[in-house]
Amino acid sequence: MTAVSAARFEPSKDDRIVAGVCGGLAATLGVDATLVRLVFALLALAGGSGVLLYVALKFYADGRVVIGATLVAAAAAMLLLAIGLSATAVVGVSLLVAGLGVILVRGGSLRPGGSLPVLGLALLVGGAVVFLSRNGASFSLVAPGSLIGALLLVVGPWIWQLVSERSERIRLEERAEIAARIHDSVLQTLALVQRHADDPARVAAVARRQERELRRWLYGGGLGSADTLSDALAEAAADVEELHGVRVELASAGDAPLDDAVRQLVLAAREAMTNAAKFSGAGEVSVYLETAGDSLSVFVRDRGVGFDRASVPPDRRGLVESIEGRMQRAGGTATITSEPGEGVEVELTLPRRTS
Amino acid sequence: MKRRVVLVDDHELFRAGVRGELGDAVEVVGEAGSVADAVPLILQLDPEVVLLDVHLGDGGGEAVIAGVAPERPGVKFLALSVSDAAEDVIGVIRAGARGYVTKTISSDELTDAVERVAAGDAVFSPRLAGFVLDAFRDGARVGDDAELDVLTAREREVLQLIARGYRYKEIAARLHLSVKTVEAHVSSVLRKLQLSSRHELTRWAHERRLI
Repeated sequence: MTAVSAARFEPSKDDRIVAGVCGGLAATLGVDATLVRLVFALLALAGGSGVLLYVALKFYADGRVVIGATLVAAAAAMLLLAIGLSATAVVGVSLLVAGLGVILVRGGSLRPGGSLPVLGLALLVGGAVVFLSRNGASFSLVAPGSLIGALLLVVGPWIWQLVSERSERIRLEERAEIAARIHDSVLQTLALVQRHADDPARVAAVARRQERELRRWLYGGGLGSADTLSDALAEAAADVEELHGVRVELASAGDAPLDDAVRQLVLAAREAMTNAAKFSGAGEVSVYLETAGDSLSVFVRDRGVGFDRASVPPDRRGLVESIEGRMQRAGGTATITSEPGEGVEVELTLPRRTS
Repeated sequence: MKRRVVLVDDHELFRAGVRGELGDAVEVVGEAGSVADAVPLILQLDPEVVLLDVHLGDGGGEAVIAGVAPERPGVKFLALSVSDAAEDVIGVIRAGARGYVTKTISSDELTDAVERVAAGDAVFSPRLAGFVLDAFRDGARVGDDAELDVLTAREREVLQLIARGYRYKEIAARLHLSVKTVEAHVSSVLRKLQLSSRHELTRWAHERRLI
């Protein structure tokens, strides 16, 4: 909560007749000094309040705000008396003004959990009661209206503040989120790039991963974990790139929401990518996702050394079998085609669940 | 004879990188970093191929094509971008670019793509092939010209293989076609992409902001 900061002004050193208060005020308000002096002179005629106000402003300018404010209040009271209001009315108005002043200076909030401006509200209500009781029956019709008016004066600014604060807070939160995002991802990546400047493959991999993340954030499903097949594949591709220093080129036609079976498809595709990255010797792996009417297909292809299924070493056969096994358990199929020297293509297909 | 190429990209660093990667394979005759610079430069130099970024500070690659094409119809444009937003990619192709490759493309492939575009062929990256297959997905035909609104089975097959990472030569071998025929299919897809009034193309591009 911000306390309202009063505009500062300094007595003018060049444009002065007594203490330079009128000159200084005129400079602060941006009006002609003669006009200010005229107002003060008129106020001085009205019960001497102009003189009091002048002294009050001098104190205020010297930094003695409390004395200044008290004198201003006194000046205002004198003015009201001078224009013919009764003493009771002046007390009422003074209480109203004091209430507003307290609220302005000390602040407060009508929001749940905020500190209620109790003193200020009490002064306001008291002022309204004094003011209205003095005027009695003749004001009774106006009373509810003026009370509501007084309340509106108090509550209005808070409602306004509440609304503008809310949009401000949302804006700040967005900013903070972007800052955090950039810190967590872009800055970390740049740090990694600097540290591994002598390892081009690693630099390329982290840069590509970063590119992918930023792009997904900018154009795709936004923050958080992937919730579509293509996002999940992009994540898997980025992981494989980072772990094994190969490029994974991802293309897609269509997309599908993630469910348990589709997650198995992603895991199988990831294994196929890892396999290609580790054993093919090729620098690039192509991944293509296609959604036909009743099935989802993912193709993982490399242009590496390829292999002959019959003479696969056991450790590698394990991977191949785990891809096939995973797809079968998910209700789909995996087809692995390869010839020595011709690279490998893994085709994963999953029937689409109609929901 | 080396192909005469102009680079248009608002990142100087990237232009330097591409220039370095292309090396001696082509002759880079000029560079520009904005639409305002690029249009007069290309009109003046009349290169064979313009490597064009999809996004430029003062407009898109589309604006460059629109400024050049009427006066120099012979200049071929190849979009080279990191942009993945489908509507941008499809937009620059529909404006007249003869292909789209991503900036992560290897030097050899880029040189090859420039050569192919210069020769009048179309160059589709796997990603673009995926976009196009998605855009021409089966559905109600709404355009006036049915021939332009659907891909033939063969075109679909070729595009699918491109998306899967196959090169033209590999596609030709796999489908028992000549490389020339594969190229013809791709060019035909490009023509449909540029001329089709198919509603899906626009609607799809706007609806989809993916990957």
